[in-house]
Amino acid sequence: MNYVEWLRVRNLLRIVAIILGVLLVLAVVLRISVARYTTPAHWISQIEGQPDVKVQHVTLPDGTKRTIVDHPAQGTHVVVDDRGYAGTHIVVTEPTKSHHENDNFSVGSVSVSESKHGSVKTTVIDTNGAVPMIYYMALADLVALIVATMLAAPFAREADGHLEVALTKPIPRARYAMEAIAADVAGIIVASLLTIAALYICQLLFESPRLDFSGVNARAIAIGIACPLAWYALVCAATTWMHRAFGAVLGFAWPVAILVGVLAAIHPRNVVGLFIHDVAWVLSRFNPISYVTFPNEPTSAAFFASDPTFLPRLAVMLLMFVVYSGLAMVKWQRMEA
Amino acid sequence: MPAVLTVDPRSGVPIYLQIIEQVKRSVALGVLQAGEQLPTVKQLSIDLTVNPNTVARAYRELEREQVIETTPGRGSFVRPDGVAESPRVAADIGRAALTAALREAKAVGLGRDETRALFEAVLERWFPTEST
Amino acid sequence: MSTITISNLHKRYGSVAAVDGVTLEIPTSSVFGILGPNGAGKTTIFKCMLNLAQPNAGAIRYEGRPLSAPLFERIAYVPERSVLYDWMTIAEHLEMNRRAYATFDSGRAGELLEQFNVDRRKRARALSKGMRTAAMVAFAFARNAEVLILDEPTGGLDPVNQRHVLSLMINEAARGNSVIFSSHQIGQVERAAERIAIVDRGRLVLEGLVDDLKADRKIVEGIFPDTRFRLDGIADDARVARTDRTERIVRLLVTAGADEIAQRLSGTGATAVRVLDLNLEDIFLYAVSPATATTDVIAEERVL
Repeated sequence: MNYVEWLRVRNLLRIVAIILGVLLVLAVVLRISVARYTTPAHWISQIEGQPDVKVQHVTLPDGTKRTIVDHPAQGTHVVVDDRGYAGTHIVVTEPTKSHHENDNFSVGSVSVSESKHGSVKTTVIDTNGAVPMIYYMALADLVALIVATMLAAPFAREADGHLEVALTKPIPRARYAMEAIAADVAGIIVASLLTIAALYICQLLFESPRLDFSGVNARAIAIGIACPLAWYALVCAATTWMHRAFGAVLGFAWPVAILVGVLAAIHPRNVVGLFIHDVAWVLSRFNPISYVTFPNEPTSAAFFASDPTFLPRLAVMLLMFVVYSGLAMVKWQRMEA
Repeated sequence: MPAVLTVDPRSGVPIYLQIIEQVKRSVALGVLQAGEQLPTVKQLSIDLTVNPNTVARAYRELEREQVIETTPGRGSFVRPDGVAESPRVAADIGRAALTAALREAKAVGLGRDETRALFEAVLERWFPTEST
Repeated sequence: MSTITISNLHKRYGSVAAVDGVTLEIPTSSVFGILGPNGAGKTTIFKCMLNLAQPNAGAIRYEGRPLSAPLFERIAYVPERSVLYDWMTIAEHLEMNRRAYATFDSGRAGELLEQFNVDRRKRARALSKGMRTAAMVAFAFARNAEVLILDEPTGGLDPVNQRHVLSLMINEAARGNSVIFSSHQIGQVERAAERIAIVDRGRLVLEGLVDDLKADRKIVEGIFPDTRFRLDGIADDARVARTDRTERIVRLLVTAGADEIAQRLSGTGATAVRVLDLNLEDIFLYAVSPATATTDVIAEERVL
């Protein structure tokens, strides 16, 4: 076990945990301060005071508190089912003159469905739906990428005045390198898990969380693990080969990746622009983040069938992890103090 | 024992020779008695802060010259006849000192008669003749 | 561990030959000192011995075999500059050593750290240069290693701690282990080392047992009445390693037979001839500085 690298990882994870802890505390504070304003009861009490509004309160056999609000003058009929921690179900019926299509969308755990029958529009709002894991993975990935960049110069750091210690241990250099990489990989994965745990707790504060692992979400988890690891390996190889300027390499990794990505995405018409675009496109093929694609909408179709590019993209990322790590190790083998 | 032996590593005289010289001197002067035990090589090297192999070499030489004898498991001891050698040892030490003195006198350009006169003067100071 | 052999070692950095054909045999159970001016190549020799640098030519063998990873279990190294991790505490360094080396004695390391007055709760960046050297020395001597390679182990240490390191080296030798060290403190080398090698500009200029070098090497000094004198080929004697002349004084560095050569020198008309002992510092200085003249003198044409 590479004790020194493990200490580096542990110290960084402590910082990540503290930051997440601070965010959690903020979430708790937010939860407490808006608690009064987010229950249906509060919203209903605002309406109850208005004239021309009839409000009825019923408690259903399963404990649900149902409130029926009628505004006869406008023809609006609202039914609010408050299941407390289990969520809220709202049906709004109102006349409408516009011709919009039936519409479904969801944000997080809130889903909204609109349908039109004749001149009446019915909107159904459900909170406490299943949260697609892709939302979790998006944030966890961001944290993982940041942690990966911070950890991605293990050999350059050793070369910065510690080779006499690192290279005189009674284990082969290759094994030393693999143990360092393993410690960093573990750190990146733990950082992702810590973020997911923090988000889960945040959700717990507001509603009982349910997570959707199907379809694109499962793919997002796989890509979400592979991509930061491949990015780590890329930056690790770069810092190992350019170990004297590893600080600059780490600092410029993000901006360069973004710049190359942007240049690869735009399609200018002039010759110079096209050339730059082509060069940038080729360079971006070496960046694992280029292989992350975002779906237009979460679907729950079969795991592989709905995205034929998934397996190749995942394979590319895993291959990159292996190849770039290998490149870093090759340079490590030849380091001189 | 450590108080008896001192070595000067910065001297041009090799340390092992200094140790040999000092042990012989101690025996000749009776500071080290017959049958008395010397420190072990390891202990003496630590006490004097010098390389143990240097001490070992000195002990080997002393053994070869029959001043001490070493028994494995028991240690190094001053030979009884090592003590008996004292007059010869004393003579050796005296001869070496006089030789060095005369060589120095010659080096500064003193002649034979001048040197003899100086010698007699110093001799009188250190070994005064009985006044009648 | 038996002999360590260095055969015809060459190491270049760019166009500079840091080590230019050094051959040495370092026997077991001894203290071997390597002396040399700054930049002579001592540190490079150590690095080649530890696979921290790849030689351009030549080989280094431990017990007849090249260095392999498991051998590091038996070799402890204290480099010239601090290689501690700034952000780690001394206690964490201790733990690192404990996990890395099977024969590491944590208790002994703790004792040594105390003797050197190193606070193990401090981070390396909070320690002075001397304290960092002391910590590295403590870790190395707690290793129970058969071979200790120490590059300037007393750098930055106060005299009390310097003497302490010296005692540690002698203790290791007394226990039957090998110590190979380089130092600018010639007094220390004189005490601790049984054999030395003097390196200058990448080359080996002198090697041997300290006691023998001191016993055999002498200066035969002759003072002449005026500047006109001939040495009658005395300087060509194989035993005369070097001749230095200033005005009326000739000093011959001889490697053996000092008395005989002194007699011969008296015969050439010198008014005062004497034989001077050399201590290690003298031997070293003569070995690494250029001679002031090496040929026979011919009358007044030679003005120095």
